[in-house]
Amino acid sequence: MKEIVIISGKGGTGKTSVTASLAYLANKDVIVADCDVDAADMHLLMKPINDRKEDFFSGVLPTIDQNKCIKCGKCASVCRWDAIPIIDNKYIVQPIDCEGCGYCARVCPADAISMNEQNVGDWIISDVKTNTKMVHARLGIGAENSGKLVAKVKNEAKVLAEKLNKDFIIVDGSPGIGCPVVSSLSGANLVVLVTEPSVAGIHDVKRVYELVKKFGIKAGCIINKADINTDKVQEIHQFLEAEDIQLISEIPYDENFTKAMTMGQTIVEFDPDGIGRILMNSWEKIKKIA
Amino acid sequence: MKILFTAKGTEWDSKMDPRFGRTEFFFIYDEETEKVETYDNRAIANEAHGAGPLTAQKMSEYKVDVLITGNGPGGNAAAVVTQTGTKVFVGAGEMTVKEAYEAYKSGELK
Repeated sequence: MKEIVIISGKGGTGKTSVTASLAYLANKDVIVADCDVDAADMHLLMKPINDRKEDFFSGVLPTIDQNKCIKCGKCASVCRWDAIPIIDNKYIVQPIDCEGCGYCARVCPADAISMNEQNVGDWIISDVKTNTKMVHARLGIGAENSGKLVAKVKNEAKVLAEKLNKDFIIVDGSPGIGCPVVSSLSGANLVVLVTEPSVAGIHDVKRVYELVKKFGIKAGCIINKADINTDKVQEIHQFLEAEDIQLISEIPYDENFTKAMTMGQTIVEFDPDGIGRILMNSWEKIKKIA
Repeated sequence: MKILFTAKGTEWDSKMDPRFGRTEFFFIYDEETEKVETYDNRAIANEAHGAGPLTAQKMSEYKVDVLITGNGPGGNAAAVVTQTGTKVFVGAGEMTVKEAYEAYKSGELK
């Protein structure tokens, strides 16, 4: 069983559109995992039903026991995020501002502060329209994605893939290069970089590739919107050659992407003979190099 | 040589854990004394953020010469591991600990 992770560094390059298309093409051969939890939207294209949800706990926040509090203000004075203002003569933790470092609980002389695990959302296993299953997550308002949540989603996907004898796991990776991305990459067999010929697109794909290199994972690249800037496409080619990354395909700019999205379809369903064909060839290549 | 494997269990036949930072166990084999030591890393695997550097710090306490894992460590954890002078071998993510040791001995791991 191979784990294929799709990442982009920069947002808006078409990562999720590509991921959903690959998942559609691979159909029941794969388990789909959406690790782009902050702005999850694979579900818009994969149409999940029969959700089986479980609570997800991550990170800690302090609670101040007002009966024990002696109002010395030490907690507020050490807080780097000014997350403990005085409201109605009481020290109250502001959960949105708090980073959960626990310094306040450590310095409290009255032992009035306890650190408690937070229920930040759910992780979900659903049936999807491609006759397979998808593992995804939904965060509560103000909650953030974490390496832990990504690890959980990927792990559940792996357990399912082994149980149901699937050949692949397709992972919609997290954006950026931080903790959730590190967690998305960990344990992967192949990384597919989706980029676009723009200054930011190139800059970000280079940065995220630095991370891929540290993990020593094989990588391939799909250049989306490849006809919007020929100079920048050349620059991407040079980068791929220098780093020995295989170019999987180039996809021209096409408004059908947006049209498909508004219909809740993958581009492969919406335009099977145009962009769909390029992605079909891409999936065949990816299977070979994974 | 003292070798640390990232593993899903505490036996030679246990599966390797392909992840470094969130590995479930350390399986440590000392080739000189032929002794095996294990460490339950699941508390760190449960951290919301920064599991990699924490695991690397824990690993440094065991003073191992070689680390064998699936892939990784990534960014910050890699910086810590480099400081400890531990040699890293990857590509053993889908093996058992025993298979990983054999692959390492025969020079199959990078």
